[in-house]
Amino acid sequence: MNITPAQLDAITELVNIGLGRAASILNEMATSHVRLTTPRIEALSLKEILMGKGRQLNATLSSVKMSFTGMMYGSAYLAFPPESALRLVSLLTGEDRESPDLDSLKLETLNEVGNIVLNGVLGSIANALDGMMNYTIPSYQEDTLERMFVENVEEDDTVVLAVAEFSVEDQNIRGDTLLILEPKSFAALLTALEPAN
Amino acid sequence: MPTVLIVDDSSYQRRILRTSLEEAGYKVAEATNGREGVDMTLSLKPDAAIFDLLMPEMDGMAALKEIREKKIQLPIIVVSADIQETTKKLCMNMGAVGFVNKPVKGESLISVLNILKNYIGQ
Repeated sequence: MNITPAQLDAITELVNIGLGRAASILNEMATSHVRLTTPRIEALSLKEILMGKGRQLNATLSSVKMSFTGMMYGSAYLAFPPESALRLVSLLTGEDRESPDLDSLKLETLNEVGNIVLNGVLGSIANALDGMMNYTIPSYQEDTLERMFVENVEEDDTVVLAVAEFSVEDQNIRGDTLLILEPKSFAALLTALEPAN
Repeated sequence: MPTVLIVDDSSYQRRILRTSLEEAGYKVAEATNGREGVDMTLSLKPDAAIFDLLMPEMDGMAALKEIREKKIQLPIIVVSADIQETTKKLCMNMGAVGFVNKPVKGESLISVLNILKNYIGQ
């Protein structure tokens, strides 16, 4: 299915609402200002995604994944460079960064942060369209961006990829919110968006 | 001292809730999924319960349904990251006395404590 620039623009608007909500939730959790870059939203094939466009695809990231079905199909990730992940866990749990307990708290804490933030992104979109989505239980993983994409995108598919970088000011924490929308999402999404177009 | 059962698979979230509830004067018990939550509701007979929705084994919605089917009179607050209006409506229709979004801080925490106070005092 081809997406026209106008349709992509409409989807961008919707995803922006969700990412704005994610920034506000992170801000509340970290009690520090969260800076969000303008999300980059593109319709891309796996080949185009793996060309990277300036992205470091082979660096390992600490990430939380949630898949969703219902009015949209796809996967959402909250991903951090490992050092930023540890800083965030330390900030939220009050555990010292050098503490041996920090690593064991990492999985539980990041899973819950991912759960809250990604629910914010996806729930805002569902609410904006009066729809409903079902989510999988969030799962923590340490993997490269390349592996995440290969795992989620079929070779011949075109997906909508939304990436927004964020940073928690004063804490030297940065990360990405990634949204991969599968092709079968497009029809339902575009129908739902129609009255606004 | 009234007992509140916290049902959440995230130990991070349970810890946050436990601290706030104990500071407010409640005795706290914990369960890590919906199945355990229903079983502890039956055995422990808490005064109120806080259920998460997305959990392994049995999710919060299924647990809520089973508790209502067993006709157990228990004030249940759903505390979830799910911000969908449709989810909130479903939970309230199934008899939850409150629906509060995570993170449980600031106004969300005040909401939880106010609901508990209305139903079981303290």
